[in-house]
Amino acid sequence: MKMYTPRYTGTVTKYVFVESPEMTPSDLAIRAYEISQGVMIKETCFGLQVTGKEEDVNRIIDSLRALDPVHIFVKDRGFPPGDTRRCRANLGGARPGYFGHEFEMGLIRFISGGLTALPSRRPDEVPEPPAPKRREGLAADRLKEIIESQES
Amino acid sequence: MTRVRIAQISCGSEYSGVQKEINDAAEAVDAEVFFPDLKLADIQKSFSDFGLDVKSPDLKLSIARAKALAEGRIEADAVFIATCFRCAEAAIVRNELRRFIHENSKLPVVSYSFTERTTSGTLLTRMEALTTIARRRALLAREVQEGLTMGVDSGSSTTKAVVMKDNEIIGTGWLPTTGVIDSAEKAISEALSAAGVSRDEIQAVGTTGYGRFLVGEHLKADLVQEELTVNSKGAVFLADTQHGPSTVIDIGGMDNKAISVLDGIPGTFTMGGICAGASGRFLEMTAKRLGVDITELGPLAMEGLSHKVPMNSYCIVFGTQSLVNALAAGSTPEDVAAAACHSVAEQVFEQQLQEVDIKEPVIMVGGTSLIQGLVRAMGELLQTRITVPPHSQYIGAVGCALLASGFVRRE
Amino acid sequence: MANVFIFPTTSLILSDLVARFGHTPLSAAMQIREIIQTPGLESPPLQITPEDPKKGLHWAAVEVPSGVRGRMSLYGPLLERAEAAIIVNNPEYSFGCMGCARTNELLVFLVRKKKIPVLDLEYPTSDEEGREFVAAIRRFLDSLPGASA
Repeated sequence: MKMYTPRYTGTVTKYVFVESPEMTPSDLAIRAYEISQGVMIKETCFGLQVTGKEEDVNRIIDSLRALDPVHIFVKDRGFPPGDTRRCRANLGGARPGYFGHEFEMGLIRFISGGLTALPSRRPDEVPEPPAPKRREGLAADRLKEIIESQES
Repeated sequence: MTRVRIAQISCGSEYSGVQKEINDAAEAVDAEVFFPDLKLADIQKSFSDFGLDVKSPDLKLSIARAKALAEGRIEADAVFIATCFRCAEAAIVRNELRRFIHENSKLPVVSYSFTERTTSGTLLTRMEALTTIARRRALLAREVQEGLTMGVDSGSSTTKAVVMKDNEIIGTGWLPTTGVIDSAEKAISEALSAAGVSRDEIQAVGTTGYGRFLVGEHLKADLVQEELTVNSKGAVFLADTQHGPSTVIDIGGMDNKAISVLDGIPGTFTMGGICAGASGRFLEMTAKRLGVDITELGPLAMEGLSHKVPMNSYCIVFGTQSLVNALAAGSTPEDVAAAACHSVAEQVFEQQLQEVDIKEPVIMVGGTSLIQGLVRAMGELLQTRITVPPHSQYIGAVGCALLASGFVRRE
Repeated sequence: MANVFIFPTTSLILSDLVARFGHTPLSAAMQIREIIQTPGLESPPLQITPEDPKKGLHWAAVEVPSGVRGRMSLYGPLLERAEAAIIVNNPEYSFGCMGCARTNELLVFLVRKKKIPVLDLEYPTSDEEGREFVAAIRRFLDSLPGASA
């Protein structure tokens, strides 16, 4: 079997997603290039990927987040950008994780709204979110009554 | 067609460590595996339209990919469906998608359930068959044998050779496989002398079976082909059912094949892979233990009643144990023979035939199709009359000789 | 700072909010990063080899499908580090690492068995639910040991 030699060891890659009325992915990229200082920046359709030593990546991300805190979202990525094993060009289709992002990006406006509202109310003043749904079934005797009422 | 593009529909392959094996098997037959691209909205819509409400997101994605392929929104030459062995949810999806694609497109499909032990070697014949169907549709469309051609089937148990001329079989050779090339040479000599022709007169040669590459190289064969496509062709040719659907079952010495065929071309197929208790090998063992020749096992079984002897094991060791116990308890050789046939048929029925759509006529081929007791047992399980065409034991060699005649005119 | 297990482990929203509010999200990406940065036998795309489903035997029996055990070999180490967890209970369209419902069921069960603080949520479907969702996560994270606020 073939041996595997990893590339980019000791680096981290983070996705930076932007969904903002004020800022496009390319605006974000321009700002990132200005402060990159040699850290790898890759522009994508949803924002950026930043690859480098963890402290450098975090420095850039902190600075980017400050531009539009409630509309910029960050997440770790396992692979460096353009890795042929995960690249759409090689797989013929998107890596599976992409659809998950597509799904969450469809909801992200609610999160931005939630972040915007945070300072106006203390978190403990905001009502609890609905608990995961557990609907009670109709009681058997009530169902029986309904059946009987329709039969008559 | 140069490189064949195989669409992969799967759940779990990357996490089982077998994706590389799938890629390698495809690479070995000059094909590439790709993942049909979709949008999330397509996935949500296709999943809900299909109506199979599974919970695993990767299976939802599989359903959407299958729909995109069947509807022609994504182009591919063939489809490979793979999910984890022992996952019930995935098995349901795998079967339904295989059927869906088979019924709604012309794409050849193979489905497989893997474990972390699956290797590219196991997948190779399946990938080869998929690519052959995609690549050689024109060749596979051949229905008439022309000229003077020879086919050699170098199987795991026996080697067969057939000489054909002008759509007729004029000579056959058959013997147990010992040395691959040696046995092939002997089978060929037998077939040539029966046909009354010399080797120089043969215009084209095809090889198939486990030893196909070695024998193919030795004979400088025009066609070296896996047994799934070759057997399908051979079966419908011999049974004279070249048009419309049919099902081909070949219980071999080492593995079994079940193939859904349409117009002589395999649509979906399975190849096992179960255990020796479900193979021709177990019937050989049974004959030996009963002290009869394998050719006598069939008629013996026809005299017996299988339900009188409990025997139902996919394992040859446990199967033999049941056999010995039954004889010790006073069962007749006839009943034991019938039970052995029933047991093999039942294993194949339970473990393999569920993976293909059984459409009539059902054609049994290969050496084991000569064991009447086995054919009867299979017929009972499938509740249909099974066709065993003449020369059924030479099926691979006949398919090869037929297809090889596609190369005759080039000379 | 607390190590917070997130479910789905691939979630952008949860990963972002946990880090934003001063804790460490334990995500699938961290595990993938570790394995693809470790030399070994080549096994693309994820560098998960047939050995990994065997490591998964620590969390699931041999009769459990290989894909479940392979995934568990990724998540198991994260579970061991988890000090708290946020679970979104309807991750119906999280694919890949989260693509197997059976693994996901086992994973959530093992989180609950750990008796660590757990916040249960569903994806928000309106502005009001979005405000509640974010506030609940904030409240939960603030209550954890080592919270910055």
